[in-house]
Amino acid sequence: METDEFILNMGPVHPSTHGVLRFKLRMDGEIIKDCQVVLGYLHRGTEKLAEMKTYLQFIPYTDRLDYISAMPNNYAYVKAVEELAGTEVPLRAEYIRVLAMELNRIVNHLVFMGSLLLDLGASTMIMYGFREREKALQLFEMLCGARMTFSYFRIGGVREDLPEGFIPKLNEFMNDMEKRITDYEDLINGNEIFLMRMKNIGVISAEEAINYGMTGPSLRGSGVNYDIRKMEPYSIYPDLDFKACVYPECDSYARYMVRVDEMRESLHILRQIVDTIPESNVIATQKYGVAPMTGMPYTAQTYFPRIFTPPAGEVYSRIEAPKGELGFYVVSDGTTKPYRVKIRSPSFCNLTAIPKMVVGLKIPDLIAAFGTIDVVLGDVDR
Amino acid sequence: MIANAYELIVYILTMTGIYEPTYALFQSFGAEYLLRVIIVFFEIGILFVFVLLTVMFLTWMERKVVAMVQSRYGPMVTGPRGLFQPVMDGVKLIGKEDIIPEKADRWIFTLAPFIVFVPALLVFIPLPFGESLIISDLRVGLLYIIAISALSPVAILLAGWASNNKYALLGAMRAVAQDISYTIPLALSAIAVVMLTGSLSTVDIVNAQSGTWFGIIPKWFILLQPLGFVLFLIASIAEMGRIPFDFQESEQELVAGFFTEYSGMKFAMFFLAEYAHLFAVSGIIVTLFLGGWSGPVLPFIPVQITSLVYFLIKTYVVIFFAMWLRDTVPRVRIDQLLNLGWKIMIPLALLNLLVTGFLVTAGVI
Amino acid sequence: MNGAEELKQSLPSSVISTGMQINKPLAVIKKEDILPVASKVKEMDFDQLSVITGIDYQDRFEVIYNFFSYRKKENLVLKVILDHDSPAVDSLTSLWKGADWLERETYDLVGIKFTGHPNLTRILLPEGWQGHPLRKDYDMDTEQFVTIGEDGEDIVSTDGSKLLRRK
Repeated sequence: METDEFILNMGPVHPSTHGVLRFKLRMDGEIIKDCQVVLGYLHRGTEKLAEMKTYLQFIPYTDRLDYISAMPNNYAYVKAVEELAGTEVPLRAEYIRVLAMELNRIVNHLVFMGSLLLDLGASTMIMYGFREREKALQLFEMLCGARMTFSYFRIGGVREDLPEGFIPKLNEFMNDMEKRITDYEDLINGNEIFLMRMKNIGVISAEEAINYGMTGPSLRGSGVNYDIRKMEPYSIYPDLDFKACVYPECDSYARYMVRVDEMRESLHILRQIVDTIPESNVIATQKYGVAPMTGMPYTAQTYFPRIFTPPAGEVYSRIEAPKGELGFYVVSDGTTKPYRVKIRSPSFCNLTAIPKMVVGLKIPDLIAAFGTIDVVLGDVDR
Repeated sequence: MIANAYELIVYILTMTGIYEPTYALFQSFGAEYLLRVIIVFFEIGILFVFVLLTVMFLTWMERKVVAMVQSRYGPMVTGPRGLFQPVMDGVKLIGKEDIIPEKADRWIFTLAPFIVFVPALLVFIPLPFGESLIISDLRVGLLYIIAISALSPVAILLAGWASNNKYALLGAMRAVAQDISYTIPLALSAIAVVMLTGSLSTVDIVNAQSGTWFGIIPKWFILLQPLGFVLFLIASIAEMGRIPFDFQESEQELVAGFFTEYSGMKFAMFFLAEYAHLFAVSGIIVTLFLGGWSGPVLPFIPVQITSLVYFLIKTYVVIFFAMWLRDTVPRVRIDQLLNLGWKIMIPLALLNLLVTGFLVTAGVI
Repeated sequence: MNGAEELKQSLPSSVISTGMQINKPLAVIKKEDILPVASKVKEMDFDQLSVITGIDYQDRFEVIYNFFSYRKKENLVLKVILDHDSPAVDSLTSLWKGADWLERETYDLVGIKFTGHPNLTRILLPEGWQGHPLRKDYDMDTEQFVTIGEDGEDIVSTDGSKLLRRK
């Protein structure tokens, strides 16, 4: 009996593609023979827009890249401009920045767990994950007034200091979260059905992963100990004590375990920050052009000029976003607007490896492997 | 000893003095069989209404149980605590446009939901809801139940074929594969129970589980057949297509289920059939392994009512377990599912049969 | 000595100049020699290609490659200068598979052709799009409409009359 291959379209509107993403699969029965990814449904021209906005005006656009974790996006851009201009950032501002980023890392991994398990069929985890995320979003609302797209960072610091009552609420959240992560691990990690769906699915070896340009937890799940916070430390990370979570098995289960361990490490970092945060200004004093305004030790947004011209030059700076290596390549020509901003997004580069991972598997395996890559379409398409 | 529901109704009518005159009335027309037919329709009507009400209640219960596990409320708006939600769902589904695809086979497309729904109701005939609350105590009751359940793959294939949609057909074929591969361990586990009682009649099976050892431990077959119970439970959850075996209905799966093209009332019938099936299967599990309607007899209440209450409590415990399972574990992939059915459960069921047969012949149990 | 100087020592004819790009070693390469230089870079243990950036200046195009070495924890930046009329450079997909989509994106948005690329098509914009948006002379006034065709393929047109309407 002859069989034919047919083309199956996992269309842009699909519940488990985490956004508008299209897979063109060539199938032989149940097995996938070839997978072609079609992108661009969410392309908004962010890089072109950057050339028409001043450096300060572009910060809200960076929020919309990876909208689940907006703080690290802000930070990557702001760090690039600060490197270009040579601005120094006060110490307290750095502490607040890392606090916001690590909190956002926890939120991101909760959403990851929830949507991965929803795709696999257990619909309870997403409810629990969003319940914890709600508490974290309330903390963010106390901090900067927004729940999802923060625009909290400024060139030279952050927008405002920590409000009163933030640290006690943060402590409460951390204690609660510690117990909950243990609960979730007990419920999920040993579940036989979960193990059957995730072990040895979506295997990619370390050399291939590096060759494809994968970074972040997806790479650490293949045994490569590459964490930018350890390799090229930035901000206050050299002073903090944490470890990079690496699992050598190269399959989906390893990538999942890396993120669960990262949540615990983020809690550990948050505790250290809360213990050692110093007192100082939160935004830098100005360095170019406009005369300083005196007084007002905190919320000194007016210290730093709004129209800001860094010297001409280029810089590429990268950070460890929750999804991988997020980098901004900023080219300045000495005017108030950047000449070119190129965004190196982790989801885009991680997605390159999907066709390699998925050939020879079945569609439920594609969904499981794709869920562990943790892609957000705003990041892929920009 | 009142044997079945017909005799119960006759007994009640005789006690209240209605039966004799009406019988005489019908006999004067020479049509006493007509009275019999009317009573039979009446008892079937009661069963039908009871099953439909239970099914509607089960849809509400499922949403509430799932919501409880997920730490949220569930339906709360329609009626007290959301109890009228199934009614509202029914009204909504009746009001939907009834779409039949252009190239579909109209007759079979319309008939398929009924062919799925009717066996789900027929299964209730030999199911003993309580002492003497059984429509008909068939001597081959258990065989009848398994045979009727085996009709559903036919209806599923009809539904998938008549939709004229290649994905619906693929979904139907997968559902049929799942169904038949799990009917075998189901039947084998049930046969082990039959070995213990020596009879296929459901009433005999329940009577064999009455009584206690040492005055406390009831003689339920779950204690004599633990492996059989587990296998029967897993096989029935797989046959019903619930999580963890519900890749048919998973929205995350690409190929849609066999009921993709159905809308409105026809779609509702598939869903009602599924919940009726759930209730029936829980009833069968209770009958076979958990002692049916047996329980301690209370002094002043007629034994029919207490036995009904015990039966319903036990059935709802099994249903609650199935619903609890649904929102705790992820889905099993289709090839892992068939693997489990053919390579693991059938050998275990055969082993169970062997051991039981050996112990029964040796006179131990 | 850093990566750029090592490169200058081993392949002196390909390297035009070396320098620093805010604490990262930078080497400007002749555009014809990019493949042998890239193989040398890979041999020097720079195994991660981070990003490929294409920039449109008034008189030239530039393509910038950022590399990172996991073992040595060093960065390296390579810059290639292309002429303005028909910018083309060799593709690095034979050495790094991750360069595949990065180069497609650069072709799509900036318009630089990569010779030897297995599948140089648009990735972020639909297939029939006119122009390359990140060029400075991109025409931002004409609107282009995208609709979806019968087989799910995108149809791009500049007049709104071909928008899909229900018959």
